[in-house]
Amino acid sequence: MNQSTKSGQTSSGDASCRNNHQEDFLLDGSAPEHEDFSLEADSVQSQLDDEPVQNCLILSVEDSEQPEPSAQINLDGMDKPMHKVSIEASEEPPQTLSFQHAQTLLESLEAQNITVNYQCREGYCGSCRTQLLEGEVHYTEEPMAWINDDEILPCCCIPKTAIRIKLI
Amino acid sequence: MTYTTFNQKTFDTLKQPMFFGETVNVARYDIQKHKIFENLIEKQLSFFWRPEEVDLANDRKDFNDLPDHEQHIFLSNLKYQTLLDSVQGRSPNVAFLPIVSLPELETWIETWSFSETIHSRSYTHIMRNVVPNPSEVFDDITRNDFITRRAVSVTKYYDELIEKCSFYSQLGEGTHTVNGRTIDINLRDLKRTLYLTVASVNVLEAIRFYVSFACSFAFAERAKMEGNAKIIKLIARDEALHLTGTQHMLQIMAAGKDDPEMGEIAASCKDEVTAIFLDAAEQEKEWAGYLFKDGSMIGLNQTILAQYVEYITDQRIAAVGLPPIFNTKNNPLPWINSWLNSDNVQVAPQEAEISSYLVGAIDSAVDTEDFGDFDL
Repeated sequence: MNQSTKSGQTSSGDASCRNNHQEDFLLDGSAPEHEDFSLEADSVQSQLDDEPVQNCLILSVEDSEQPEPSAQINLDGMDKPMHKVSIEASEEPPQTLSFQHAQTLLESLEAQNITVNYQCREGYCGSCRTQLLEGEVHYTEEPMAWINDDEILPCCCIPKTAIRIKLI
Repeated sequence: MTYTTFNQKTFDTLKQPMFFGETVNVARYDIQKHKIFENLIEKQLSFFWRPEEVDLANDRKDFNDLPDHEQHIFLSNLKYQTLLDSVQGRSPNVAFLPIVSLPELETWIETWSFSETIHSRSYTHIMRNVVPNPSEVFDDITRNDFITRRAVSVTKYYDELIEKCSFYSQLGEGTHTVNGRTIDINLRDLKRTLYLTVASVNVLEAIRFYVSFACSFAFAERAKMEGNAKIIKLIARDEALHLTGTQHMLQIMAAGKDDPEMGEIAASCKDEVTAIFLDAAEQEKEWAGYLFKDGSMIGLNQTILAQYVEYITDQRIAAVGLPPIFNTKNNPLPWINSWLNSDNVQVAPQEAEISSYLVGAIDSAVDTEDFGDFDL
């Protein structure tokens, strides 16, 4: 009972507001002349003319290791934990990076200019298989591809501790 | 072992090996020996797509504008893929189902094979839209030497396994004379044939498709044949999953926990498996030569495609625990990764972001607390 009374009050209160913007919501009659709402587009300009369709679906250009701008105030005042990531590759000198803001270890590595082979990015193809020499990771998604005991799939995990990995 | 469609014996499913144990009776998935196959089934089902969803209206125009040698590249690849998926649409069922012993693996094989039939249907969809007379293209598959030659190496392990298994199921182990031919059937040899067959299927899914994939994506990088590329993307997503399936089968066999004899066989077959990988790589490089016989396409030529074959062969062979053959380090076609990435596969707008989008997924868990702020 309470609820229906409430809604009755609200709707009568709203009526005046609605009148103010009526011109924006004409459902019948001729459509308002407004460039955003023309019913017949003059011509739809395809943005894909010369570039591959890939470019408009593609991965974000943002740097995964930069914190995202957020409208919300961070109340607890704590930064996300940061973990050291040391990388060894057979031909290049070892490098040390850090993991903090990225969604996955793979994104973090890419943001810091480490080329890792990838394909599915969700743990079922195994292309990004990497050897974990030290430390622990947490899987955000269960990995499906075959990995040996000392290997990880960076596309679906984040470091739990400082880690040392070797790119295969 | 005579095959029966519903094994009347009572036995512990969890004690069965993947193959050559008791034939499956109850298709139950509440208890699983290898949970991975159940995961693969679910993933594959979430990938479901239909070729008709992809619009190919622009591809016909693009195709007609391609120079002759590029039309040759496009059609030859489609022919070869049609052959591969014709094989894969039936062979796992025919070869593996009679000998499989785990319900989740049985269902994975069926799900896997079914998805290959979708691929086959998509080739017809492409042909219908792109060429005036699809029959000419399809008829050439059995006449073209370059294609039939490779068909042999794709199918010989399957055929051998199917033949031996049918003798085994009818006559059992021992030396038999059938139609004047002496046949020696023993289980260890059958298991060996099975292991090599799975290895050859792994190679098929892992390497043989990728030359075609590379060409399709190279066309699309130039904004040509984009509908086709979208279909190939969906196919590549499925193939990556099938590849994971065969890699798990090979690794489980090699570990020998499931069937110790299989582990010994896997250890003794390393050279043969390496040879299967090497043969496939050489054949694919040869195929690249045939594709580009009248000229290269923009962005891709025989040399770079051969390097890609070597690179992908090394990647795949390492994934089954064998040393690389060519010792390549870098991907010569790095742009292919973003085409092979399933995040970019767009089927319907609501599925653009999450590939395992579940239709009608409703959270039906209701707790009394959910009504806490509700009164009449």
